Amino acid sequence: MIVDVQELRKTYRHWTRQQAREVRALRGVSLQAHAGEVFGLLGPNGAGKTTLIKTLLGVVRPSSGTATLFGKPAGSSAASMRVGYLPESLRIDRHHTARSALRFYGRMSGMPESAISRRSDELLQLVGLVGRDRESVKRFSKGMYQRLGLAQALMHDPDLLVLDEPTDGLDPVGRSQVRQVLEYLRDQGKTIFLNSHILQEVELVCSRVAILAAGEIRGIGTIGELAKLHGEAKTVLQLIPSESNVSIESLSNTLSQRLNTDPSLIRFEEQGESLRLELGTHNQSSVDRTIDVVREARYSIVSLSVIRPSLEQTFLKLVESPSPMSAESEHAPNGKWEASSAGSSETPAC
Amino acid sequence: MGSILRRFIGDPSVLKPYVAVILDSFHAAFASRILWIAFLAIWLLLACLSPIGFREDFTTSFRIRDFENGTRFKAMLAGALVDPAQKDSPVARIANATPDDLKRQLERVGHGDEVRIQLQLLADALNELLDRDDWYDEEAWKGTTRLRELRELEARDKDELSKSEQQRLARLRIEAVVPGVFKSRSSRSILLTYAGMDFPATFAIDKTQFRTLINQWVVPTIINWLLGFIVIFLGILVTASIVPDMLEPGSLHLLLSKPVSRTLLLLAKFVGGCVFVLLCVTQLVVGLWLIAGLRLDVWNARMLWCIPVCVFLFAVFYSVSVVAGLRWRSPILAIGLTCMFGAVCLVVGVIGGLFDGLVTGPAKIRDLAISGETLMGSTSGGGLVRFDESANRWVDVFETDAFSGDRVLAPVSLPNGEFLAAQVRGGRFNPFGSGSLDLVLLSQGNNWEPVPTLRLPTATIGIETVASDRLMAINASGLALTTIAEVRRSAGESVDDESSEDSGDDLPGWIAKLSGMMGGVTSGFQSILPSGVSFAPPRRVAIAKDGSTIFVASSGRFYRLAPNANSTESTWTIEKEIELEGEASEAVVLAVNSADVLVARAKEPLRIFDASTLELRATIAIDTGLVPVRAVSLGDRSGAFALLSGDARCRIVSSANSGALSLPTGPTEVETIKFDSESQHLVVVHHVDRLEEFDLGDQSFTTLGKSLRTIRPSLSKWRLVDHYAINPLRMIIPQTGELGETVAAIVSGESTASIDQGGVGDEPQIIRYRILRPVLSCAGFIVVMLTIGCVYFSTRDF
Repeated sequence: MIVDVQELRKTYRHWTRQQAREVRALRGVSLQAHAGEVFGLLGPNGAGKTTLIKTLLGVVRPSSGTATLFGKPAGSSAASMRVGYLPESLRIDRHHTARSALRFYGRMSGMPESAISRRSDELLQLVGLVGRDRESVKRFSKGMYQRLGLAQALMHDPDLLVLDEPTDGLDPVGRSQVRQVLEYLRDQGKTIFLNSHILQEVELVCSRVAILAAGEIRGIGTIGELAKLHGEAKTVLQLIPSESNVSIESLSNTLSQRLNTDPSLIRFEEQGESLRLELGTHNQSSVDRTIDVVREARYSIVSLSVIRPSLEQTFLKLVESPSPMSAESEHAPNGKWEASSAGSSETPAC
Repeated sequence: MGSILRRFIGDPSVLKPYVAVILDSFHAAFASRILWIAFLAIWLLLACLSPIGFREDFTTSFRIRDFENGTRFKAMLAGALVDPAQKDSPVARIANATPDDLKRQLERVGHGDEVRIQLQLLADALNELLDRDDWYDEEAWKGTTRLRELRELEARDKDELSKSEQQRLARLRIEAVVPGVFKSRSSRSILLTYAGMDFPATFAIDKTQFRTLINQWVVPTIINWLLGFIVIFLGILVTASIVPDMLEPGSLHLLLSKPVSRTLLLLAKFVGGCVFVLLCVTQLVVGLWLIAGLRLDVWNARMLWCIPVCVFLFAVFYSVSVVAGLRWRSPILAIGLTCMFGAVCLVVGVIGGLFDGLVTGPAKIRDLAISGETLMGSTSGGGLVRFDESANRWVDVFETDAFSGDRVLAPVSLPNGEFLAAQVRGGRFNPFGSGSLDLVLLSQGNNWEPVPTLRLPTATIGIETVASDRLMAINASGLALTTIAEVRRSAGESVDDESSEDSGDDLPGWIAKLSGMMGGVTSGFQSILPSGVSFAPPRRVAIAKDGSTIFVASSGRFYRLAPNANSTESTWTIEKEIELEGEASEAVVLAVNSADVLVARAKEPLRIFDASTLELRATIAIDTGLVPVRAVSLGDRSGAFALLSGDARCRIVSSANSGALSLPTGPTEVETIKFDSESQHLVVVHHVDRLEEFDLGDQSFTTLGKSLRTIRPSLSKWRLVDHYAINPLRMIIPQTGELGETVAAIVSGESTASIDQGGVGDEPQIIRYRILRPVLSCAGFIVVMLTIGCVYFSTRDF
């Protein structure tokens, strides 16, 4: 197991003139990420994603609970040696060029000079900055800057890559370029811990996802597993009763008998001259038998599609699930808004 | 951090990330435009300084500062003009050669008129004589005391002499006829040039003194102002953003995700922040060092120590900037707080300096006299104090006042618990002072009220007892002796100004007045200095315990004087005379016992001469950085001496065999030492006015041993404030201003500086550099600030 978080809690305390105030950014978070996974961490702004990542990197100390990377305490030198990190709003000093920045961060990771030189060439090639590597970063576009950030995160060939909003603020081309790099790394077998609020990005590259809201894990699993939380996929057939004189009721009864299923899972809807048949399953034998029944009744099949629930729908459902203290929201010490809600909403089982 | 250090011992590459941070700081500094602007300014400054050069020439022209006793000179010239007996004397020839205008004024002085003549006028008149020789007459000059340089120049053919040498010869001839008028000056002078052109002013110092001037004053001044203020302020402006920038989330989180210790990361950033100043200071100091070496021939590698000292000074301020930046993450606030801190340092430094100058400094005991159980001392603030044992405090006899221009002659003790002293009104910067200079007798019977006795010769700079029955007055031009009985007899008698002005009742009033101006003896005193002795500064007198011999060191010559065999003749005779090797213009310290005389001068080994033959018996090496301040004999039984040096420590000089010098012993911060021949105890005054009394007994004379008696007087109100408020404040607030003294000490390689006091008194003022205190207070402050910063940075969530 690469990442193991158990009952992690983090409460920020700060003092105003009047009183001490507390912000509970993490409320008993538990999750695991395995080797070779691209693990996505999804959540609205202020969900506690950045706090969780900072805890994994040792930047923030947990109030309680444990977080380990490679079996070592998060933040320990042994763990940090094997982690590459791309922060949300990367800031590289303006006196650097791409190459000197890679050299600096390589040295920060304790790499030997020869390895820094070799690795810089490889990574500049990987992120497409060859030819611009001796230019001041002052002249870099946001996309180039982010790709340089990815390169620095990969300098010491880490086993775990923690990426915090890697495509945030990028144009579609930039996003695509970063995504390509992530896909390449995924294919290389790197473990990636991706923090994002862009659902499509997560859907495209992540093998497992955790949804965090108000400091709690609301759902965790593969995209498919999470989708199930919102309901089964459906099969929809568009029919035309061209030569048929079988009524809809008769067709419905026949289907119910042949599929041996609850009639309520079979819905018909007349749409002008066509008929929409919705099955509450996408089981292959049920679909086959349905097609057989429809054809026997001499209905023409115009189209057949399987409709699955989207991650967005799941996300919205999980995030918007009521929480008794959802109104509570505070400033986090680092200046970011961190919404927090105290409550006992159940984390859905996956 | 501990684990990092443990790992570092096994694998030094663990520190690689921190080295990377420091190297990155160089990278960032070189990318900074401000650095290049600062470089440009430094190069321009160095380019402006590089044409400075120097040339050496003979010391010829007279200047105001050359006069030690202008009044005596005026009186001598005036006397020679109006006294028919001196018509063909060398002084008269000089006086007659002066411009008519000046001559008229001198004649009026000679006739008793109060005429003020500016020293510049006298100097100009003499300078005119340097290019002429019509005033010189070989016959007339035969009776004058001629120093070696004069004899050597006169021995040469006149046509062989260059113009400078001829002028030098003329100056030496003038100096020879008016002893006690001019200060001792080096024969060679340094003339500064700029791009080949002479500076208008010359320095009447030799090359060694020129080096000292550069090392002790010029370089520290540049370091204090140029580096200590401008570069450091610039450095703070440039580096204030380093920590707030590091704390930006996109930067900090990335750094903290690396396998680094937060403490070491902050320390590396701190060291890296000093890089800007290091680069600027290195350029400036190396440039100054090269200019000093190439243009002024002052090659002093110690000058390069200014680089770390300046970076250290910057680190003091930067540590404040770092902590402010950590706490508030704002460069503006960091700069503001650092400037406020600088202002606090300045204010505390100024207040501390005021307390040093007005409270502690004037209260320092400069000389001590012991009679029985009574202690009497003169203070640096021109006061005379007596120790009141019952109240455990020093009681004023003459008030100590920092602003007073009065000077008190070192008190001397008489056998029966009485003391003699004198107060010279306004005499601190003028040997003559104002008003009458009466010797005063102090005794318990008179409730320590000063009772005037004899009038001392004009410009008396010291008094000494001779064999407990006589008193000697040392003034700018000679030595005068009287008996204690005469002093006692005169005590309480009303002194008539007119009648007692001079010793010769038969002399006309105007001659007596001139005699007084020249420092001639007064009523009751007899001049004892033989005519062959040139009594010129730097001078020092030591008297053998039995009063049978007086040793005089004067302007590089050393005399042994004894009473004239003809008892009717008051003048003593020169029994032995030698020339002291080394620099004649250096102040000399003397001490004598029955067998030996100790002679000590700065930058020279200690020398022990046989008291009878003045043969050099032993030479004892001493650290050249130690300036001898005072020496006393530790009694005839031991044959040893105690030496007080400029580092305010006491050492014992053993005269046995080939001589030996002990390590520093006894208290620190010693102000003065006194050997009480009655009790055979050495009394050491230290830390302003504390006393320790030591019985050396039959010890091996390597240490002072355990003190018999300690006196810690009660502190006055202001000194209590100084002790309990100002001093702790000066320990807490780093004394950055005092680092200039550390620089001066490091660059010069000496722990003291000697300042000529303007011709009054025998001893030059010794300034002890505070070397360690500013370093310790600054280092302690940096450690505290960095500890606060590291704890904050390590424990806080970012």
